[in-house]
Amino acid sequence: MNKEFTTITERLDTVLEQLAYLTERQRKQEELIAELTPIAKLALGTATEKLDQLDQQGYFAFGKELVEVAKKVIEGFSPQDVHELGDAVVQILQAVRAMTQPAVLAVAADASSVMDDAAAVKPLGMFGMVRATRDDDVQKGMAIMIEVLRRIGHGANAVAEKSKQLEDKKAKLQLALGSRKQKKPLGIERKRLTAGTPAAPRPAPAAQASCAVPAGPQPSAAVIDGIAYTADGHLVDATAWTRRLGETLAQMQGVTLTDAHWAVLEAARADYETTAVSPNIRRLTQIANVTTKDLYALFPKAPGRTIAKIAGLPKPAGCL
Amino acid sequence: MTQSTDRKVAIICSKAGLDEAYPALILANAARQSGIEAFIFFTFWGLDVITEKKVDHLHVNMAGNPASPMPTMLAGLPGMEAFAAHRMKKSMEELSLPSAREMIEILADAGAELYACELAMQMFKRKPEDLLPQVKEVITAGDFYDLADGAQIIFT
Repeated sequence: MNKEFTTITERLDTVLEQLAYLTERQRKQEELIAELTPIAKLALGTATEKLDQLDQQGYFAFGKELVEVAKKVIEGFSPQDVHELGDAVVQILQAVRAMTQPAVLAVAADASSVMDDAAAVKPLGMFGMVRATRDDDVQKGMAIMIEVLRRIGHGANAVAEKSKQLEDKKAKLQLALGSRKQKKPLGIERKRLTAGTPAAPRPAPAAQASCAVPAGPQPSAAVIDGIAYTADGHLVDATAWTRRLGETLAQMQGVTLTDAHWAVLEAARADYETTAVSPNIRRLTQIANVTTKDLYALFPKAPGRTIAKIAGLPKPAGCL
Repeated sequence: MTQSTDRKVAIICSKAGLDEAYPALILANAARQSGIEAFIFFTFWGLDVITEKKVDHLHVNMAGNPASPMPTMLAGLPGMEAFAAHRMKKSMEELSLPSAREMIEILADAGAELYACELAMQMFKRKPEDLLPQVKEVITAGDFYDLADGAQIIFT
């Protein structure tokens, strides 16, 4: 019995020890957290500040732009392009190596140093250019540039030749195999709609003496008392005119005919009979022994046209 | 063809090259022939067209004209202008086109009114007696607008 009691007491001691240990650890953890909190706060603050600083320095904007660029590159190039690029990459690297040789770079650097003192360089005219070619270095540079140009031209020719050969090959292949279009259609053969129906030939343009000559007989727009008139109010057929009709037409134009009027009208008709051209004002002044002023006095509104209308002639042509 | 009865055109002629003066003169004449009231306002170099001493010596300038068959480099050489003017006058004669002086006479007879610009007259030191007798009056730009009331204005 006593022995059992001793065992229990020992166990209780062990439990108590463990409890004490746990309590101590809990206390230490709490202390740690209490100590850490301000430090963590400080650290978080610093991190935020740092990120903000980075943003201000444009790192994120730069990153965003970079993504945009990548997107553009992907959109702009097809996989085929990339594949071809892979083939050419060796050449590109060779070219880059050739261009970045120290000697070449030195030349480039020296040449670009001109930009630094560009202010000191004087503008050059045509004669200045000729004079500059006397300089040995300029001559050498020119020779090199010419050589570069020659090689570029040579290369371009080679590229053109190559693509032409390709075309020739295609043409030969086509010739050998025959175009699909040239083969006879299978099944029921029928005439092609487009073949054998030539477009209707255009009417030959009427020979025109000068601007605005009415070509051929004008279509009649109205028929009054058996006389046909054009849309402009001129007689369709000049031979249908009579003196009586002329008087009626003059009334319609608001002109009271006098002997002077009749002289002009008869001259106009006579001229039309010989030339088959309705006389314009300038012609009338030459044939009817009247001045421009007289014509405007006799037929105040648009004399040329009015005279032609009353005299039963077509609309006069020309600008004078 | 029916036309409105009160049509009117006001043409401003500001240059005196053959290719610049004739359009103004022809347009005014065509307007009169079509029963349209017309007047021309001559200003700047256009004054030459109505100046007694200049009207028979109108030229045509080929330099800087991309439509001319003559390269500008050549057109600027002395004598080229006279040559071009000669050629153009000859082809006008073949068409029996009236000379500028005749055109002015025809226009006046046809009832087209011709006006000279007052300011241009002062600039070029022209007096009213230097002008052709067909010129009706020397007027200002303001007067021009009064005259052009209700007119269609054409600038050549």
